[in-house]
Amino acid sequence: MKRSLFKDNLKYLTSVFLSIVAALIIGALIMVANGRSPGVGYMALLNGAFGSKYNLANTFAKTVPLILTGLATAISFESGIFNIGGEGQLYLGAFAAAYIGFTFPSLPKGVGIILAILFAAAIGGLYALIPAILKIKYKIDEVITTIMLNSVAVLLTDYLVNYPFAGTGQGKMGATEMIADKYQFTRLVRLSTLNTSIFFMLGISIVMYYIMKKTSWGYDFKMTGQNERFAKYGGVKTKKQMIIAMVISGALCGIAGAFEVLGIHYRFLQNISPGYAFDGMLVAMIVKNSPLGILIMSIFFGGLKTGSISMENATSIPSELVLVIQSIIILFLAGETGFKKKIKEMMLKRKKSEKAVKDSAKSAF
Amino acid sequence: MLSQLFNLTLIQHTIRTATPLVLAALGGLLTEHAGILNIGMEGMILLGSFFGIVGSYFFSSSLMGVLLAVVAGIIIGIIYGFFVVELGSDEFIIGIAINIFASGLTVFLLRSIFGVKGAFSSPDIVPLPKLSFPGLDNIPILNVIFNNHSIFVYISWILVALIYIYLYKTPKGIWLRASGEYPEALETVGVSSKKMKYTSSIACGVLCSFAGAHLSLGYLTLFTENMSADRGFIAVAAIIFGGANPIKTFAAAMMFGFFDALGIRMQVMGVPSQFTQMIPYVVTIIALVIVTKNHMNKIKKGKEKEEGAY
Repeated sequence: MKRSLFKDNLKYLTSVFLSIVAALIIGALIMVANGRSPGVGYMALLNGAFGSKYNLANTFAKTVPLILTGLATAISFESGIFNIGGEGQLYLGAFAAAYIGFTFPSLPKGVGIILAILFAAAIGGLYALIPAILKIKYKIDEVITTIMLNSVAVLLTDYLVNYPFAGTGQGKMGATEMIADKYQFTRLVRLSTLNTSIFFMLGISIVMYYIMKKTSWGYDFKMTGQNERFAKYGGVKTKKQMIIAMVISGALCGIAGAFEVLGIHYRFLQNISPGYAFDGMLVAMIVKNSPLGILIMSIFFGGLKTGSISMENATSIPSELVLVIQSIIILFLAGETGFKKKIKEMMLKRKKSEKAVKDSAKSAF
Repeated sequence: MLSQLFNLTLIQHTIRTATPLVLAALGGLLTEHAGILNIGMEGMILLGSFFGIVGSYFFSSSLMGVLLAVVAGIIIGIIYGFFVVELGSDEFIIGIAINIFASGLTVFLLRSIFGVKGAFSSPDIVPLPKLSFPGLDNIPILNVIFNNHSIFVYISWILVALIYIYLYKTPKGIWLRASGEYPEALETVGVSSKKMKYTSSIACGVLCSFAGAHLSLGYLTLFTENMSADRGFIAVAAIIFGGANPIKTFAAAMMFGFFDALGIRMQVMGVPSQFTQMIPYVVTIIALVIVTKNHMNKIKKGKEKEEGAY
């Protein structure tokens, strides 16, 4: 049992690897089509992602929102309820953390930080509760409602930072007041955005790994996702399980938003996230919701993000190329099982036709 | 105050904002009848918008814009069909992948072709022609409803009728519906359900490219990143709301368009734009709640009747 599991994983890892290679080749072809050298481009990308302490720090800083939103995706998808609303939950969570940070500047440091994180988690979780209840009670497709709620949350925070909570001395973009100095996470490497939130994130990841992999509770989530009816027979309360998964998912996204505020911007900014939750979702989808896989794939994606800027400087290939590469990886992987089946069928056909040729040759004698 | 809000301009705006929804929803209901809920329409619309601009800009012709958009629509329809029908991948995941792919590709191409970030507009982009029927302009209400729209508005109306006839009055339409509901039965009469599903995804790609071209060449004359702005998903909601019936879906899309237009009008009146922009999203959710609640009530009543009969 264990061995076949390992074998399955190995097979899937090969597929992931091949998909990445294929996507990188397509990326190289695009560079060639634009008259640039892919060798120079990818070297610059690699260097920009991992080449120096500063670059490495920025890459790891990027993993914080990716891993949190990736885990958020994993727990919801595993339970068979699809939370595509991470971006909205992240925005609301970020605003909630900032709100605590600038409204209660005189709390003890630890209390203020914990309160900000918990409030962000609560707001994110509650916001995810809406589509969860609509799904359980009215069977309304959560994919559509969560996407609609993303736009609502982004617009709502946009309103909040431009009207009732507009900070003084802001530039063109809407932003709140700064949070109190003592709540701001310390930077770990000078000038980079890497900050102590990475330790919080690691702690949360370990808890999530434990819940998803080592507890019967995690098993229940998986059962709910894989076969609702079977899980019901097995005594799992699937509806309750789905709602809990959704709330945890929303809370994680809210925390991801809180860390953007506490660790990087020190206030809430309009357009604070360039789609972190969607990137996190991609990461989780690529590794089929494995917590460990999310950790590794987030480093890869974080590297693509920071490295792409160096690539742009070196080759003038727009950094957005990595967006194309990312989406091609997921397209290939989504078709993975289908591709395998197709190849098997083709081989089978070939074998059959070979056999038929042999048979007919035999009967000729 | 109310007359400022509810006037002829509102009708005009409704028609304009509803048209991309109508076109995409018509495409999506074709795949829906073939048993595929297409979440990827969002990306398909976006590609249509982008390639519409590319064609119109480089060939100085709006027709070439539409043509290029349609080519993109056909290609993305084939890709979608290949993954969902041929490889049997999860239609939902492929839909999301298509959306992410379209968003990444258009942002990348926007920079590598036009060298700009965010948005591209140019006087060299030729917008779609606007049609007017002489004689109608004397009657204000008919003038507003029927005149001075970009060509896709009329095309969308014609398509509603054509697709209705196709689905319910032609053998091919019956095959298409059977491919979603009774694929085995369809196979026994010698029609490949796979082929019908493929056709529907390509048709959906084309109709979404119409929606996209209407957005970038008819409704506006520019391209902005992610300009499809969740219209693909609102179109899905319209399909659910309209029960995948072309006429009812058209009505649902018009309703969503109306609220979108209402938001634009309210903005003119000084309501913060953030709230007016929220309206279509909130209305979509409320509409879904209403339609499923009614549906569930019907089922309940049906059951009670059955029980009563015994």
